[in-house]
Amino acid sequence: MGRLSGGGGLLTYVMATAGLVFILAPLVVVVALSFSQANIATFPPSGFTTSWYEAVLADDEFRQAFLTSVVLAFAATVASFALGLPAAYALDRWQVPGARAVETVLLSPFILPILITGLALLQFMAMLRMRDASTNLFIGHVLITLPYLVRTVTASLKQVDRSLEEAARTLGASPWRVFRRITAPQIAPGIAAGCLFAFMVSFDDFPISFWLSTAERMPLPIYLQNSMSKVFDPSIATMSTFTIVTGVLAVIGLEKLVGLRRAMNV
Amino acid sequence: MTAKATAAKVTSRAADLAVSGLTKVFGTTIAVDGITLRIASGELVALLGPSGCGKTTTLRMIAGLVEPTEGDVLIGGLRVTRTPVHRRNIGMLFQNYALFPHLSVAENVAFGLEMRGVSKAAIRPKVAAALALVQLGSFADRLPAALSGGQQQRVALARAIVIEPALLLLDEPLGALDRNLRESMQVEIRQIQKRLGITAVLVTHDQEEALTMADRVVIMNGGRLEQVGTPEEIYSRPRTRFVASFIGASNFLHGRVIGHDGSGLRIALTGGGEACMSHSDGETKEVLISVRPEAVSLAALEERAQHGGSGLPATVQQVVYRGQATHVHMTLDDGAPLLAFLPNRQGEKAKEDFSPGNRVWASWPSSSNWPVADG
Repeated sequence: MGRLSGGGGLLTYVMATAGLVFILAPLVVVVALSFSQANIATFPPSGFTTSWYEAVLADDEFRQAFLTSVVLAFAATVASFALGLPAAYALDRWQVPGARAVETVLLSPFILPILITGLALLQFMAMLRMRDASTNLFIGHVLITLPYLVRTVTASLKQVDRSLEEAARTLGASPWRVFRRITAPQIAPGIAAGCLFAFMVSFDDFPISFWLSTAERMPLPIYLQNSMSKVFDPSIATMSTFTIVTGVLAVIGLEKLVGLRRAMNV
Repeated sequence: MTAKATAAKVTSRAADLAVSGLTKVFGTTIAVDGITLRIASGELVALLGPSGCGKTTTLRMIAGLVEPTEGDVLIGGLRVTRTPVHRRNIGMLFQNYALFPHLSVAENVAFGLEMRGVSKAAIRPKVAAALALVQLGSFADRLPAALSGGQQQRVALARAIVIEPALLLLDEPLGALDRNLRESMQVEIRQIQKRLGITAVLVTHDQEEALTMADRVVIMNGGRLEQVGTPEEIYSRPRTRFVASFIGASNFLHGRVIGHDGSGLRIALTGGGEACMSHSDGETKEVLISVRPEAVSLAALEERAQHGGSGLPATVQQVVYRGQATHVHMTLDDGAPLLAFLPNRQGEKAKEDFSPGNRVWASWPSSSNWPVADG
């Protein structure tokens, strides 16, 4: 690719740089703060210490919240995979009457304000006398992670060359084996990308958990918010750093699994 | 292949094919309209026609990829109309090759055998034999993306024949290749098909491909069969104007029967001149005659008496040198076009004394007159 030149080129560079700065700089600030010796979180940090990490790791409530978030995100991702893959396949490949309507409903969490969805869910679950916070959180999170699987898998399915599947059928493969041996390998990157989005959306979710969590079952973002309202010391930055690292690990895991470039379709 | 492996041979279990009253309606469009056709075991039949004529839909109904609205498909005498694709035992070639991109060449070829539950040990020699047949033995471990288009289609051919299909279906298999490669692949596929005795159906819009490869050609138009016959029959005895113009080039002359003589009908051509025709289908007064351009020869108008047979006057419009032949485009006195292909012998250009504006006498042997239906 050639270098960009002229006024348009300059604008492109400025915008790209600004984009990167605004995405990465706040993360750098947070990570830097987590090593600060000051007692309140101010930038620039003063000194260097890992004591906040020791404190945070020793904090039972933090460990509980972190574990809750990891388990919740993992469960929501698995459930979204189990529901989203067949749903996307059926929507794309079978001539289901009302498929468009079903797809719109499945994807509606993308559009509806999640905070309102969470409140509505809380009222609905109260009506049904559903009192188990773990179950409620799980259902709420599946609701907002499922669209990511449906969307990415549908997009991948549309890109699969249908004659590959037809060739496999003529060669004697039953519909299931066509899917397993031919379709699935073609859409694996899309599935992986969808799972990554689902995991991160759940792990990072505030508006749903805000309504459905309890003092006993509290995901990390809610715990962070609670801690922050008590005292704004660098331990907040430390906990945030754990969140960032989890995201990075998820991305690396995906890269190892299927290759991120393929997964993101670039 | 290791020395121990049993030498495998690619064999065939070809069957005959019959379709009867095959019809497909998409919404309000009739794509295929009641096609009935029998194809003998080991025969290669080409479905030829312009795009939208229903040839691909017909092939896909035979394959089972499209469900017919009406009619039946019988393979080896068995009705398979409701049999799913994967139990029909067919091999199919697609225009875009449709090789599985995540599997190696050998794995692609092995796929159909695996689906049939053939053991790994039995698969290996069969795959090797099939790849040897298409001269790609050394490419077994490559991925399809590393092969050229022609090589990819040969892998697809190996993959289709290794399962010993009852039927080989070819859906515009060479459409994506350039001309020279296409011609050599036509010969190669034809040789392998003949050697193995596989029953095959070829869909193409390329008339040369159909004539080169097929035992019989089926001309389709508007979802119907226009004519079925050997390439020679289709070319020299077209039933309709459509067939005559679709296969090769043709001149069409309107005329009226004015009498009989010893050799046949005498016909007055609307553009002036006369024609004789021994072929006749009854008492028709108005006739449409097809004359192939290569049958037409040209002479100066004054020499018309020396040229017997059928003929009429024409005005030269354009002379185009085309290598093998010189194409002379003319108009008749009633405004209709007339085309003559004059062969160029080595070292001499044909009839260079004809130039635009010349009045000429176009004539041809009366045996070249062929009546066609105006369809």
